[in-house]
Amino acid sequence: MSDLSEVDEKSDADEDVVEEALGLAPGEALGDLVPVDPAHLTAHEEHAHPGPRQYVMIGLVLVILTAVEVALSYVETEHSNLIIAALGILASAKFFLVCAWYMHMKQDAPFFRRLFIVGIVGATIVYGIVLFVFSSTVLKS
Amino acid sequence: MTQSVVPAPDAYHLAQAESGHGADTNTGVSNAKLAIWLFLSSEALFFGAFISTYFLYRGRDAEFLKGPTPDEMFNIPFTSVTSFILLMSSLTMVLALAAMQRGDHRRLRIWLLATCLFGLTFVGGQVFEFTEFYREGLHLGTNMFGTTFFVLTGLHGAHVTMGIIWLLVLYGRSMQNRLPSTNSESVEIAGLYWHFVDIVWIFIFTAIYLIPSH
Repeated sequence: MSDLSEVDEKSDADEDVVEEALGLAPGEALGDLVPVDPAHLTAHEEHAHPGPRQYVMIGLVLVILTAVEVALSYVETEHSNLIIAALGILASAKFFLVCAWYMHMKQDAPFFRRLFIVGIVGATIVYGIVLFVFSSTVLKS
Repeated sequence: MTQSVVPAPDAYHLAQAESGHGADTNTGVSNAKLAIWLFLSSEALFFGAFISTYFLYRGRDAEFLKGPTPDEMFNIPFTSVTSFILLMSSLTMVLALAAMQRGDHRRLRIWLLATCLFGLTFVGGQVFEFTEFYREGLHLGTNMFGTTFFVLTGLHGAHVTMGIIWLLVLYGRSMQNRLPSTNSESVEIAGLYWHFVDIVWIFIFTAIYLIPSH
């Protein structure tokens, strides 16, 4: 009898953890009975996707960055390298925002992130070498 | 009987599925998501080749500026508007996914349709731009600018068109109630492709249109 009451108490405690993790009211977590691994609860908290409000905010930031990019392209200056560097930084910032928030790289399994980064870094290295070799030899004249 | 059991709401399982964790596969991650990320990784190399080719000839090859030049041809305000539209399509796409994850199929269809319309507007703008360039004498074989520009932006436009078809298929399946809420991954995968096409354009727009050609 005492064993059963211990199990009940532990179940109640676990249920509280589930409700707290999901932001539910006490007693709201009613569903199928499944074994709970507390580590999974942490994973859920970490990996939940952002909400529509955050998506709209990111969209606004992207619009502002694009507007700044276009404005920069109209700036007449002798230091065009500075403009090119600024445009590169702004494009990279937009790339990061879309990848991290819209493609859920921040929340997804790290394996996917690594896979994609391998492609991006691989492309940068390979084509960096190609550009360097061709510009310094084949097209130098 | 030492294993504890507690109620777990559906949101718990949805969160697991969203993150790609806990899939019943050898790798522990969803096979479909693994495939799309591998594909996108290879696409980065694919588009990298064409962007590099454009940079390779720009300002380094006499053939690049023989005939119509980028400065004479580009209509920056027009392309800025189409770029803005493509960026907004990424927002509507992610809102479609959020609606799907909430089980709100009506909003899912609205956002999917909005994404398709934005995509179609972008492709329409590209067709208009290509037509204008052709009328002004810039063809695929006119100079290296024409070759590298039409191939790169044309391939990107083809990718956007494929994305539109994909989203329309999802829209049709949703209309026929063949897209259950438990299958939000199919919308997420289409979304990943769409966002990738968007980030490729972020770099094309900056590299080709905004950076001075000489």
